[in-house]
Amino acid sequence: MVKKKCVAMLLAGGQGSRLSSLTKNLAKPAVPFGGKYRIIDFTLSNCTNSGIDTVGVLTQYQPLLLHSYIGIGSAWDLDRRNGGVTVLPPYSEASGVKWYEGTAHAIYQNINYIEQYAPEYVLILSGDHIYKMDYAKMLDYHIEKNADVTISVIEVPWSEASRFGIMNTNEQMEIIEFEEKPANPKNNLASMGIYIFNWPILKAYLQIDNANPNSSHDFGKDVIPLLLSEKKRLVAYPFKGYWKDVGTVKSLWEANMDLLNEESELNLFDHSWRIYSVNPNQPPQYIASDAVVTESLINEGCVVEGSVEHSVLFQGVHIQKGAVVKDCVIMPDTVIGENVYIEKAIVPSDIEIPSGMTICSDDILLVTKEWLQAQNLEKVEKG
Amino acid sequence: MNKMMLGIIDATTYMEPLQQLTLHRSVAAVPFAGRYRLIDFVLSNMVNSGIESIAIFPKYQYRSLMDHLGSGKNWDLNRKRDGLFFFPSPDLNIPSPHIGAFQHFEQHIDYFLRSKQKYALICNSYTVCNIDYQAVLKRHIDNQCDITEVRYQGRSLEMFVLETSLLLDLIANHAQTGYNSIVDVVRDHRHQLKICDYEHHGYVAVIDSIEHYFQHSMELLDPAVWRQLFVKSRPIYTKVKDEPPTKYTASAVVKNSMIANGCIIEGHVENSIIFRAVKIGKGTVVKNSIIMQKSQIGKQCELDRVIIDKDVKVENDVKLQGTEQQPFVVRKGTVQGEMINL
Repeated sequence: MVKKKCVAMLLAGGQGSRLSSLTKNLAKPAVPFGGKYRIIDFTLSNCTNSGIDTVGVLTQYQPLLLHSYIGIGSAWDLDRRNGGVTVLPPYSEASGVKWYEGTAHAIYQNINYIEQYAPEYVLILSGDHIYKMDYAKMLDYHIEKNADVTISVIEVPWSEASRFGIMNTNEQMEIIEFEEKPANPKNNLASMGIYIFNWPILKAYLQIDNANPNSSHDFGKDVIPLLLSEKKRLVAYPFKGYWKDVGTVKSLWEANMDLLNEESELNLFDHSWRIYSVNPNQPPQYIASDAVVTESLINEGCVVEGSVEHSVLFQGVHIQKGAVVKDCVIMPDTVIGENVYIEKAIVPSDIEIPSGMTICSDDILLVTKEWLQAQNLEKVEKG
Repeated sequence: MNKMMLGIIDATTYMEPLQQLTLHRSVAAVPFAGRYRLIDFVLSNMVNSGIESIAIFPKYQYRSLMDHLGSGKNWDLNRKRDGLFFFPSPDLNIPSPHIGAFQHFEQHIDYFLRSKQKYALICNSYTVCNIDYQAVLKRHIDNQCDITEVRYQGRSLEMFVLETSLLLDLIANHAQTGYNSIVDVVRDHRHQLKICDYEHHGYVAVIDSIEHYFQHSMELLDPAVWRQLFVKSRPIYTKVKDEPPTKYTASAVVKNSMIANGCIIEGHVENSIIFRAVKIGKGTVVKNSIIMQKSQIGKQCELDRVIIDKDVKVENDVKLQGTEQQPFVVRKGTVQGEMINL
């Protein structure tokens, strides 16, 4: 194998249980986002745009769709003779089958994968976040600061700091303390779950951590505190720009709505930093004579005959005559029937909202098949 | 292997009436239907009919065609065996009044000799439709035809099925027989060959002039038409561009239009076809027009019956007006300013 300067390890095995039934059959990184993407497209595109061409994708929870979506990585130009994308699910060995028990354990189990490329640096990423970031700049910073570990951080509002892993730093941006969800935060620099390690250090500490029966084998909870206690040089890399963990139905909806904001920092139209995705090969969208479309993002293959305001429509969605769709996210191939009124909702893929229905609530509603059936039952009982 | 066909696309055609759109590209590479090139239709039809070996014979201005097709990956034609072949004509002086000129094929005869496919399908590059060539072949075999010609309402679509061995004979003997192309053979009645017709049902557009280009483009806005062209089970493939979804701002008004990805629509668009990554500025009204990829239309413009080729910049406050028969065509990569049209 050809030696690589930096290998990326992308953690994509998470369930994202707070996304409710959206992640019943697929891993969180595979959840649709932004009219044509899946969440993992952002991290994979960041890798390719940053010149990182060797990416191990660690999968575990509901991997079928994720595996077929990633394929050999051609959509992100990561189908390479040397390196490229390698999907790394848990495997069995002579001593038995080992599920990934934590983020650090998942990397530990794939030390052999990384060793093939004899890298100087390993970039640890999560497939759960929406952001655009040049990892090459972070790597330059890591080298310049002569760090053992560099952790990317973002300023969060002080009021929300207690929800994050907070890095307490000195003036040189050296990390002196790490606090997971502190009740009284001393700082508002939150970890983005993006780490660059010098590979020899990472390898050594993964082995130490793995031998510790009391460890939960998690980077944030175990490995980073251990490195700090051993006085290793940990440096914070301040990131400015859009970054969102779409962990809940509400935050997924908000992140989609952010794209409709003219001032949004997340620009999908930037040709120099394309977000790549697997192409659905559908014809252009058709907007009919009676349609009204404003403040919306609409993908190929859509047919709009009704009214779409401030919404995100994925490929192949059909909005029938007289329907009003407002502040919604409509996922691929879903049909909104005639004269439906729907507001503030996320509708997953392949669902048909029957004609004439009104869906409107104060909270963001996830309109699933089960929810629709329950509505039907209620109607029958009342009727 | 018995029912396998070679796909042969004759892209040598030059068309005077399409000249304004073919100064920098071959007819096969003319943009159509918001995100496609003309050749995508015949190529996708072949792929969807199970054809795995496709040879393209280009002649003029084929840089953009090659750029579009690449390795054939987007059509699943980057195969170890067979796949996509590109056979430019080494001699620009060969006369080619008709599709399927044997002299063009003769220059690349090795391809035909090496191929194992029993049948060959010869098509032009500018007929837009969604057709299953397996059905044509089945009829051809069932009726024991020598050559089957696909027709639509009595008119030839310049698609021919024949045995590869017969094609080889016709190529080898063209000097003796006087048949210079497959069209010559089909039109002549002095031979013993059984020529059959196959009537295609479904939408067809033959793009052979600016007027027809404009007319057929506008027809696509009828849902009954595009439903015949864009069939879910037989998709039309094209080069992937990774454009984001199209953005409609608060001031956008869009009626009866086909719009590709990556556009930013701030103005008024009616009865129009908008290609990928086009920007339509605020206060601008675009009616009955075709705007090709990456063109930028400024603010407060009025465009009616206009074809704007790719990479055009229309500055603010510009008025452009064409007619049904003679749409106003703006050439690729040019700038249309307010001062220019005064």
